[in-house]
Amino acid sequence: MSPLSPTVYLFRNAGKTVPLIGVIMLAVLLVASIVSLINSIPYSIRTIYQYSQEMTGVGPRGDTTLTPKLIAEIKEQSPVPIERTMICRASSAVVQSIVGKWPFVVLGLSQDDMKYYLSRMNGSRIIGRLPTPGAAEAIISAPVAKNLDRVLYDPHASKAEREKGILLAPGNTDSWSVKEVKIVGIAQTDKWLMLDTIEYQRENHFPPVDLGLVFAKNLQDQDKLDHWADIHFKGRQAQIFAYFKVEKDTRTMFKTLYMILNVVIGTLVLVITFMMGMLMNIYQSQRLVEFGLLQAIGYTRNQLLRRVVFESLIFVLAGWFVGVGAAYGLLNLAKAVIMTPRAFQLDCLDPVAYSYTVPLPFAILIVALATVVIRFRKFDPVSIVERRLV
Amino acid sequence: MISAESVSLIYRDHGREVFACKEISLEVRENEFLGILGPSGSGKSSLLYLLSGLKLPSNGQIYFDGKDLSQIPEEDRSRLRLKEFGFVFQQSYLLGYLTALENILLGVPDSERNLEAVELLDRLGLKEKASRLPHELSGGERQRVCVARALLGKPKVVFADEPTAALDHKNGEAVVKLLNQHRAGGALVMVTHDPSMLEEADRIIRLADGEVVSA
Repeated sequence: MSPLSPTVYLFRNAGKTVPLIGVIMLAVLLVASIVSLINSIPYSIRTIYQYSQEMTGVGPRGDTTLTPKLIAEIKEQSPVPIERTMICRASSAVVQSIVGKWPFVVLGLSQDDMKYYLSRMNGSRIIGRLPTPGAAEAIISAPVAKNLDRVLYDPHASKAEREKGILLAPGNTDSWSVKEVKIVGIAQTDKWLMLDTIEYQRENHFPPVDLGLVFAKNLQDQDKLDHWADIHFKGRQAQIFAYFKVEKDTRTMFKTLYMILNVVIGTLVLVITFMMGMLMNIYQSQRLVEFGLLQAIGYTRNQLLRRVVFESLIFVLAGWFVGVGAAYGLLNLAKAVIMTPRAFQLDCLDPVAYSYTVPLPFAILIVALATVVIRFRKFDPVSIVERRLV
Repeated sequence: MISAESVSLIYRDHGREVFACKEISLEVRENEFLGILGPSGSGKSSLLYLLSGLKLPSNGQIYFDGKDLSQIPEEDRSRLRLKEFGFVFQQSYLLGYLTALENILLGVPDSERNLEAVELLDRLGLKEKASRLPHELSGGERQRVCVARALLGKPKVVFADEPTAALDHKNGEAVVKLLNQHRAGGALVMVTHDPSMLEEADRIIRLADGEVVSA
């Protein structure tokens, strides 16, 4: 290997190069982690409401008797084949999200509809059983149980354990019901679900409005149906509940946050780049004797510049790769310790988060090289060998 | 091989023109040991930098093998220095992270020179120190490594700028002897303020205040 190979310098001067790599690594780690964690908020919200991707909800406005007619109209005029329709009731509860309590719907369904609904949500495998019609009983899915720290109701357990088996209760203002609604089943699916029986809801919940759920054959058709229904019923006495609206609302909700995030990340990249530029300047200043000697004995300015470019490229890329690895490790740790136990979502390989880090090495490289080029332009090797600059 | 024709090097000091070298004409012949002698500030180092193309003259021309150094682009002049010239400076400038052998190889960046570099180390009594880093060598040993670096590739001219300045007399003499013995047919141009270091010189040029006072 040539003595002037960039790797020779980098490896033999680890005391100088490792801290620089470390700074780049920390910068990448910081940016990727911030963006991933911010992205986990809308990601969690989308996941919470993902069940609505499987159906189109329709409700009446101003006239509670309209629901069957609306369902009939959809069945008749739908642009895609309809697999099943059902009538349901809905009451409200809350789940915990990264940004606090988030509203969630408890659907009241008949036993038959509940079986179909669960199979559609890949939740046919149940620990426990389905709620008995009319009883104050509910079935929830595994993520909801994890999120709310709920278990199957056990009448023989301690008071604290029994309380963990209650989904809705008169004393719970966020997830209220006139009776204590016990959890009798936990569906093993990754979809977020809370179901009780339509009979119980009709008896105990207000307002007395039936809603319709319409299921297409697959997700593609469902999406078409959602969009069609939204346009079809616009301006009429009907309200459409569709997943694409959740998506749209989430995007709108986080638009400002992302604008702030972009400013913060942009500033961070700028600060880090400027700091790295200054560090590189100091780093290269420490090597003036080396550059002076090499230029004096006959190495050209371009040869030296090429060498500096390769060296900078190597440690900037090394810093970036190590930073990406460290971010991945840290995010996995955060996911395991903070997110998963609460059923929050975090994508440790979020491409958007890592793409935010891409400008970093380029910006650092450009600033670093600019400082070196400026230095080389006015550099006189004689000043070194005459010891005027050392 | 090298000829300087009415060469001057002028620099400005607080708006005043100062002659580091004034209308110097001389010739460096093949295979000769040319000594340039003068007190401190006489312009001898400036003359060496001019002859080697490290600096360009303010006036006059310097020719190497018939080519005017001022007319050669900077990059080509650098390449010429690397290929045809060897340098030993006052201080034993070595790269601290390279071994003695690797420092010598900087003289000619060619992997096939490895054997020649080892042989040079042997001839200069440093074979055992080939893998040592500069801070593990004494001052005399470091300067001998610089001599080996300058001699690698059998340059046409070796320029030595006060190579003994940082050494004691005994080590200084040894370095000059080594330079003279191992220059392998190339010329040696050595600048010094110590006449005793030029005992083996073929010719001596004396400088004072930037001018040649005797040749």
